[in-house]
Amino acid sequence: MKEREVVIGHRLGLHARAAAKLVQLSAGFQSSIVLVRTDDPQRSEADARSILSILLLSARQGSKLQVRTDGSDEDEALERICEYLAG
Amino acid sequence: MKTSERILHGVAASAGISVGHAVRAFDPLFISFNYKLRGEQVRDEVARFKRSVEKSRQQLRRMQQQLKRRSGPESSFLIDAHLLILQDKLFVDRIIEKIQDEQINAEWGIQQVSDELFEAYDRLQDEYLRERRGDLDDIVRRLLHNLQANVKPSFKKLPYDAILVGRAIPPSMLFELRSQRIVGLVTETGSPLSHTAIMARSLEIPAVMGAEDLSGISPGDLLIVDGDSGSVICLPSKETVDEYKPRALNSRRTVRRRHVSSAPIMTIDGKRISLGANINFGEEVNAAIANGCESVGLYRTEFDFFKDGHERDEQSLVADYSQLLKIAKNTAVTFRTIDVGIDQKTWDGVNPNLGVRGLRFCLENQGVFRTQLRALYRASVHGTTRILLPFVSTVDDLEAARSIISEVRKELDRKHIAYDPNVPVGVMVETPAAAQTCDLMASHVDFFCLGTNDLIQYYLVVDRSDQTVMHLYNPFHPAILRCLNQVYTLLEPIAKPITVCGEMAGDPPSAAVLLGLGFTSLSVSLPAYSRIQQMIKSVSFVELRQMARQLLRMEKPKDVEELVRATLGARPA
Repeated sequence: MKEREVVIGHRLGLHARAAAKLVQLSAGFQSSIVLVRTDDPQRSEADARSILSILLLSARQGSKLQVRTDGSDEDEALERICEYLAG
Repeated sequence: MKTSERILHGVAASAGISVGHAVRAFDPLFISFNYKLRGEQVRDEVARFKRSVEKSRQQLRRMQQQLKRRSGPESSFLIDAHLLILQDKLFVDRIIEKIQDEQINAEWGIQQVSDELFEAYDRLQDEYLRERRGDLDDIVRRLLHNLQANVKPSFKKLPYDAILVGRAIPPSMLFELRSQRIVGLVTETGSPLSHTAIMARSLEIPAVMGAEDLSGISPGDLLIVDGDSGSVICLPSKETVDEYKPRALNSRRTVRRRHVSSAPIMTIDGKRISLGANINFGEEVNAAIANGCESVGLYRTEFDFFKDGHERDEQSLVADYSQLLKIAKNTAVTFRTIDVGIDQKTWDGVNPNLGVRGLRFCLENQGVFRTQLRALYRASVHGTTRILLPFVSTVDDLEAARSIISEVRKELDRKHIAYDPNVPVGVMVETPAAAQTCDLMASHVDFFCLGTNDLIQYYLVVDRSDQTVMHLYNPFHPAILRCLNQVYTLLEPIAKPITVCGEMAGDPPSAAVLLGLGFTSLSVSLPAYSRIQQMIKSVSFVELRQMARQLLRMEKPKDVEELVRATLGARPA
């Protein structure tokens, strides 16, 4: 398993359009991809392939997320997802 | 066992009391019933759900293609979001789990999972994201629609004392209320002015609308609907049931035959007032005739026309209309051609109340219109038929309708099919445009019918199905009085019959205002018939005319209402 912390760079945060793109991007990998709101006391989690869970993370520009990838392509997945989230 | 009695408050929308068991009608667009499955049905139910997901996906893809062609790839991203919800484990897989684990039908599963998600959305701090629940709402409606597409709601599963409970019940589904099994209606949205309420009253089904949070009511709960006070008692104690039950039995549809009097209806100073009945279903004509109604001033044909969710063929319409006219004997029946889109919300956000409604729909769907017109003319040999065109806003539309009517007649001539060549054709005055220009429409029609429900809604910009603005819907508003006065003044010199057929005519004080403004022909729902008859017989026309002159100078609706009530109260009932 790989993990890295990233700060959301998108101006509107993970809203409909950005969330949709994230799901589409995640679908290209074998690994599981989980996002955790580290700046949130409840440390809410989302599955990067579930648009509803991403929207419910309610992450804005500047929110801190920990990205965890686990699987055969976990390195590339981590790299690409973090790159996308940083905007 | 749950035993705590709970009272929910709403608005009285249809009088009477009923005691029965709750049946949830989930979605405003589709009445679906929640039910438990037997073990062996689970697989089929999951398959049914998956088919509706697949169908929804195909629809969305098609929409996306069209959008891309029209406005480029950028605009279609919202549909991406919808498509992604359809493959979201949090949604789809959870619903399948619910169906399997709890052995419930797909609609119920969708309801449970979406309710949880809606709750999660509502807790979000971010306003933009909270608004995104609309996407989910759309998907839910689409899935439900596709689940129901080929399934007729089955009323066989209902208990014999079903009380429909739901956020809203759309008028398009109301013909189903004729099912003798439904004895009451409770909704969160809607108001006494909505079509749903009008229908409930005409079917004499007690209804409470605008009730607070109904989520606590489970299917099968015992309920008392008090349509007189506007309250609902959930899980009433035995004592409470005993208290209500005798009244409930009395208020059940037993009052069919009322006072029959064939004497012409006159005010105390001898002014002849013509009083007709509004009906929504063909079979109500029996009650109208039995009650001695002078005419059927308005038959809203759309409910029978779309009886089973499908349009009717000409032959069966001819049979129905002929039968109705035969029962009516020589009593005139005004058939309002189909008006669709009333009080409905569509899932693409279009407001049908300002869109393709009434005659507009008929002009866009000429096949349907011609079928109905042919059936009406063919049936016209059996009685006194009048044809009324709804929701007209331009003379152009009126001309277009008239030319279709003359084509239909020519076609019947060619085929040597008999019809009454003197069937009068009238126009509904129910849009502000029609109210302003009714005199310009006069040369195109034989009579006028004032639809006050819509007129008030459009004049006062109040959506009559929206409970939050309901207090603004007021027939005593000076704007309405002036509008009605203007219509009367414009039409008086033309000397063509004018009937007022909105709900306003069925409320004694409002009806008194109509008489005061000069209108001498009203048409009201059957339950209102005898009380309006009594009101007319107890007033002086001259006095009401004087009163109206005063009313027209008043600033506030409440002052208007006060004076009207005082004038009526001053007369012995």
